[in-house]
Amino acid sequence: MSSTLKERQDKRFITKETQTAAKYLRRLEELSGAPEGIEPFYDTLKRIYVDMAHVDTNKKTVGTYCVMTPPELIYAADAMPVKLCSGNYTAFSIGDDIAPRDACPLVKAVAGFKQTGLMPVYEDCSMMVVPITCDCKKKIAGMLADRCEVTTLHIPASREDKDIEMFINQLYELMEKLEDVTGNRITYESLSEGFRKVGYAQYELSEFIRLKKQMPYLIRGSHAMAILNSASYMPADVWGKALHKVNQSLEKNISDKKTVTSKKLPRIMLTGSPIVFPNIKIPLLIEEMGGIVAGDETCMGERGMWDPAVITDDSFDGMIRALANRALRPCPCPTFADNSQRIYRLKQLIKENQIQGVIYHVLRGCLVYDFEYKRIEEELGKLDIPVIRLESDYNEEDIEQLRIRIEAFIELIKLKQPHEKITSVRKDF
Amino acid sequence: MENKNNTFNKEYLDSLNRLYNDNSKLTGFKWFLDTAYSWAYKKNVSPDVVVLGTAIPEELIMAAGAEPYWLIGGSLGSVSWSDDLVPRDTDPVSRSILGYINRPDSVDFSNSLFIIPLINDSMRKIAYQLKSEGKKICLADIPPSRNDKYAQENYTNQMKELCATVSAHTKSKVSKYSTVSAMKRVSNARAALARFLELSRGRTDIITDSARIFVQNSYYMTDSMERWTYHVESLSKEVDFYASQSKNKEYKRPSIMVAGSPVIFPNYKIPFLIRDAGLAIYDSADYITLKTLITYKRSMMYGSKDKLIENIALEWYRYDASPAYTQNDVLYEYISDTVKKGGIEGVVYHVLKGQIEYDFELEKIENMLSQYSIPVFRLETDYQYQDVEQLRIRMEAFSEMLAQNRYRKVKKVS
Repeated sequence: MSSTLKERQDKRFITKETQTAAKYLRRLEELSGAPEGIEPFYDTLKRIYVDMAHVDTNKKTVGTYCVMTPPELIYAADAMPVKLCSGNYTAFSIGDDIAPRDACPLVKAVAGFKQTGLMPVYEDCSMMVVPITCDCKKKIAGMLADRCEVTTLHIPASREDKDIEMFINQLYELMEKLEDVTGNRITYESLSEGFRKVGYAQYELSEFIRLKKQMPYLIRGSHAMAILNSASYMPADVWGKALHKVNQSLEKNISDKKTVTSKKLPRIMLTGSPIVFPNIKIPLLIEEMGGIVAGDETCMGERGMWDPAVITDDSFDGMIRALANRALRPCPCPTFADNSQRIYRLKQLIKENQIQGVIYHVLRGCLVYDFEYKRIEEELGKLDIPVIRLESDYNEEDIEQLRIRIEAFIELIKLKQPHEKITSVRKDF
Repeated sequence: MENKNNTFNKEYLDSLNRLYNDNSKLTGFKWFLDTAYSWAYKKNVSPDVVVLGTAIPEELIMAAGAEPYWLIGGSLGSVSWSDDLVPRDTDPVSRSILGYINRPDSVDFSNSLFIIPLINDSMRKIAYQLKSEGKKICLADIPPSRNDKYAQENYTNQMKELCATVSAHTKSKVSKYSTVSAMKRVSNARAALARFLELSRGRTDIITDSARIFVQNSYYMTDSMERWTYHVESLSKEVDFYASQSKNKEYKRPSIMVAGSPVIFPNYKIPFLIRDAGLAIYDSADYITLKTLITYKRSMMYGSKDKLIENIALEWYRYDASPAYTQNDVLYEYISDTVKKGGIEGVVYHVLKGQIEYDFELEKIENMLSQYSIPVFRLETDYQYQDVEQLRIRMEAFSEMLAQNRYRKVKKVS
């Protein structure tokens, strides 16, 4: 019996989607220098994107976007947060027909997945929490609300005390909705447990970042990004345990003097629009071209879980306040009108990681990041740090163009290094 | 620099000239042209309070003793004054607003307080730029979901703060009297405009559609709201007089609704094209037009000063149709109600490049209008004039399609 058009379309979507994800996983695996213990992270990405399976949990899942949704609250409701920001090219091409042409590819990919109804991580969500951080997120929240249960979080434009108070109210409201959806009451104990789970993962992350800073390098940035991306689909404690093993192997590598390379590669920092699996073409290109992603200031990378919630008052309200403060005060997201602290954060990362050049990633249509480019270019210019703006989309058509620009940028950094330290591009990748 | 000034002057004067030529028999209309001219070319102006965009209740600013100086965009010339300051994909309205602020040898904004309603990303980031330049800013961060439990309260608190900030800037106390007075002034002006728009609807033989939009836009250029209200009423009378003298003998053009990005003076290529293509604008559905509908009943003008501000915030947040919301239900309802009443044969959905929120809203509007078999024509453009001929061809095709629909309906009935 012949299949229907919809069945054929779905089949084509699944084939293309899984092929792309498998290809990028293979490229990651082929990249030398992966630390021991990275397999569970690859397995998670494979499970979600190649096998198109459900998240490995028996709990209800709550979809989240952006870094402002506190995972602690979701764990406290005995559910699991799943970050739904997507980097999928195939879903993007479907979303291209639904969302406006100039919408950012991340939002188009989300719209595409929701439209096909084929991606279990999206379909399983009991609720989606959408912080309104930009115009696209604002409008996609409205669009998603027609298709599933959606709660929005109004992210204030400034971070004054009154704004934090307003956000605290919203977190209480979110708490009620989570209780309704999961049927579980959020108690002092369950919230504390949520803090413990996320806190453990954050502790392991801070260790990982400390080890990642080592010179010579113990891990490549692309591998680190795969690890950080997989956090979206793993329970925090499981992810933390897996990361602990990676940290142990990195510690062992220090004592064994086993590094990614003995050569001095140009140290590059990535900042700007998020890098979401499988759209990891830029970090892969950087490292395939002979650079190393030594710094990462993106919200799906280190920034995503970097800041721990600091509890100064150990009452229930104190914990909610800690979550609100953590979500807004240290966050260098360009959604805030005054985002000077992003510049401080970048300068801090440049100093700590001895960065030699910055790649400013702008996803087409991501206006908020584009607006901040000029100021950052000026500020980093004062430090004599070269910056290039790379605009890209969710497809592979621009790969060669990006390759040439990244190659030229890496050459430029090499030329700035003292002569004896100039190294050639590695041929053995 | 001279080139930029020339572009600005040419566009401004061309639009004014065409408006004058098309409506020369209306003596009362000239006052509005003069108002627009003097707004653009008056020197030595140093406004106290500047508002970027229109999505703010001006009655609160007036209650605090200031007359708002509006910057609402609309000019290709002013876009060129901000070209190096914003990313390539920034929408022309935000560019134009920033351009006006950076216009050389013009208005002195050094002591101004900038009120910025954050309806989109560009406004958010422009606010940061202005703050970095040392300008005094006051933000109105509109809660995007009206269904949230604390949204109204949050909005009301912000409006109270806005009032206090303006009051501190102008050193004028907000009182119950000043608030009621501002509410009355604004209500009168909006009611006069609503009357004018209703009276002049469909009388393209007396006043063109672009002139009707222009009268509406001139609200944001006047330095005296009372005088503006008086002149709108006079113009209404004049239109009414001509209408009573003769019936519209012009060919009854297909009636359309213009929705999406608001059309702002002097960039009138869309209304001019609509007229050239043989169409008539029955109604506009954008947040600037829908603002006209926010008026205050007598019962809302009683109570303490705080109660009055709460009433203003309540009405405004309930009926604001700006794209600041996740779901723009106010706009959908308005379009749905208008279409149900009849008289609309098609919708021209105007999207300015970069104003992505309107594009997102289009899907729902299209779905809704398809139930009434009303065709929607999406027209994307910016403030440049290079695409005029392309748009003209498309607009003419749309006009022909609407005319065909008429014949088809007549044939069906017969």
